[in-house]
Amino acid sequence: MKINLSARYAFRSLSRHLRRTTLSILGVGVGCGLCLFTIAFIRGEKKMMVRAAAESGAGHLTVVPNAWINTRDNDLRLDNWESKRQEIGDIEGIRIVTPRAETDALLAFGTRMRGIQMTGVDPQTEPVANRLVQKLVEGRYLTSGETGRVVIGRTVTKRLDVALDDDLMVTVAGIDGRMSSAMLRIVGIIETGSRELDGTICHATLEQIQELTGRSGATQLTILLEKPENLVHMEKQLQNHMGDSASVLDWEELLPEMAAGVEGDKTWTRMIVIIIMTVVFLGIASAQLAAVLERRREFAVLSALGMKSGRLVLIMLIEGVVLGFAGALLGLVLGVPTAYYVATRGIDFSGLYGEVEMSMSNILFDPIFYGDFGWWLVPLSFVLALVATSLSSLYPAWYAARTDPAGALRVEQ
Amino acid sequence: MTVPVIEAQELSKIYDAGRMEVQALHDVNMTINKGEFTAIVGPSGSGKTTLLNLFGGLDTATSGSLSVVDRDIALLSKRQRADMRLHYLGFVFQAYNLVPVLTVRENVEFVLELQGVGNERSQRAREVLDELGLSEFADRRPNELSGGQQQRVAVARAIASRPQLVLADEPTANLDGENAEILLTMMRRLNTEHDITFVFSTHDPRVVAYAQRVITLVDGCVDKDETKSIDSC
Repeated sequence: MKINLSARYAFRSLSRHLRRTTLSILGVGVGCGLCLFTIAFIRGEKKMMVRAAAESGAGHLTVVPNAWINTRDNDLRLDNWESKRQEIGDIEGIRIVTPRAETDALLAFGTRMRGIQMTGVDPQTEPVANRLVQKLVEGRYLTSGETGRVVIGRTVTKRLDVALDDDLMVTVAGIDGRMSSAMLRIVGIIETGSRELDGTICHATLEQIQELTGRSGATQLTILLEKPENLVHMEKQLQNHMGDSASVLDWEELLPEMAAGVEGDKTWTRMIVIIIMTVVFLGIASAQLAAVLERRREFAVLSALGMKSGRLVLIMLIEGVVLGFAGALLGLVLGVPTAYYVATRGIDFSGLYGEVEMSMSNILFDPIFYGDFGWWLVPLSFVLALVATSLSSLYPAWYAARTDPAGALRVEQ
Repeated sequence: MTVPVIEAQELSKIYDAGRMEVQALHDVNMTINKGEFTAIVGPSGSGKTTLLNLFGGLDTATSGSLSVVDRDIALLSKRQRADMRLHYLGFVFQAYNLVPVLTVRENVEFVLELQGVGNERSQRAREVLDELGLSEFADRRPNELSGGQQQRVAVARAIASRPQLVLADEPTANLDGENAEILLTMMRRLNTEHDITFVFSTHDPRVVAYAQRVITLVDGCVDKDETKSIDSC
């Protein structure tokens, strides 16, 4: 293919000052690499946060009674929850569905008492859906249908000064408003590493909750998806399936403070990317402007020969695009291995928090944060670099196009 | 029959140099006909380059009228003036001003590309280089050529677009005697063989000797015209 002479001129012009061109490419490349790393890390962090939120009890999606959305009343129960659970479980793309019923309870042991939100669970599916259950350090988890047993968090045991096999007096408000009590034996203790989180764990079977409160069934069906990226689609599909009988909420609606945190991270990422690319933009604009000023006489001559402003702008843009292309490649060379390392090895933040695991809003996070990684890094690198260099070439190009040939030739003489 | 290529009437140019104005040209009247080989001479600051810039549409006159290849320069937009230069004019500069990153052939071809010449671009560039005896330098970059060779390439670039008029600003100023002779002979040959009108500014007596017509500028006014008497200040 025969390259247009204007393009050849633009290419070769970049070789006039190899050091400047190399530094420009380096600037674009490092900027791109940093952006790729930042975006990959924050994307990975978001995925981790979503997974942590989903697997810490919130699920990706949750089916609740319609009235629950406004009242958040845990005494509400889903109609026909078992058939709903069955139907949802049959939908393609659903990893697991687990029912929960919650009630406010007062735990007492001797003279010590503690208020807590007690969760009724299905012991078969809860350990799969809830990563907190996997942190069982003493005893065992609940078994299907059993009553008179409870699993609590380490902080609860410390505050009540109880141990495995101790019997707790549990008091709840019953369906008719009367207090209802039962003695429940501690069969398991969960220790996540987060004192705050361990102070909120109190699991019993759904049957036990029904026995205590007199309300049968589940308050919610917590759903984990095979592919969390299909959340929006699945939410729609489930809501259509549920019709008016129940509402489907995603984790963001269930945990608004957590969603705000994720959104904050996104904003932060955008700011970092904008700052980096602005620095790159100014650097390239400065280098390109210097190149234009050096070639004022040449542009004046080309203009005298009949070159029009549009062609001059095109030449400057080609130079910018070449810088951008090379910078994007360098950005990939720098950014991809770093992003890959963080995606596969992760960054261990446990040093910052000691042995204690990280938690926020009753969500248990892994101390090792993994970045995201994929082919999307390639187009992203090119988009970032080419947009930055093309835009940064516009002002020098406009400046070049405005060159007054007579003035430039006169000054040089 | 004489066909005017350049017609200037009461042409003046005033530069705004900060607080003061500099009158570079003052009521210049001049007609240059097709096929002429004209030298514009005069001391430094006499307005030679300004006049050539006005002829080439690189600059605009402060007052007066100027017609170049049948176009009223004052009525042309910047783009139309660029078009006029591209299709009807050629330029040769004192400092050669070849594009350093392009080879000799590419320098010549570049103008043809700007003109929109397609596939025959290479062929035409080769013909011009052959004609001017520059074929052996076709693949060299300007910095690999001597000053004389570079200026010959500049002439090749100027005539590649088959212009009616070539404007040359001090074309021999940087050349030694031998190279100046070669260049002038070449330009004269192009003038006679291709009927290209040449107008060049100079204060080089060697160039003046080659010119058919010598117009002398002094302080922005036409002082003398060797073949025809023109208005003077």
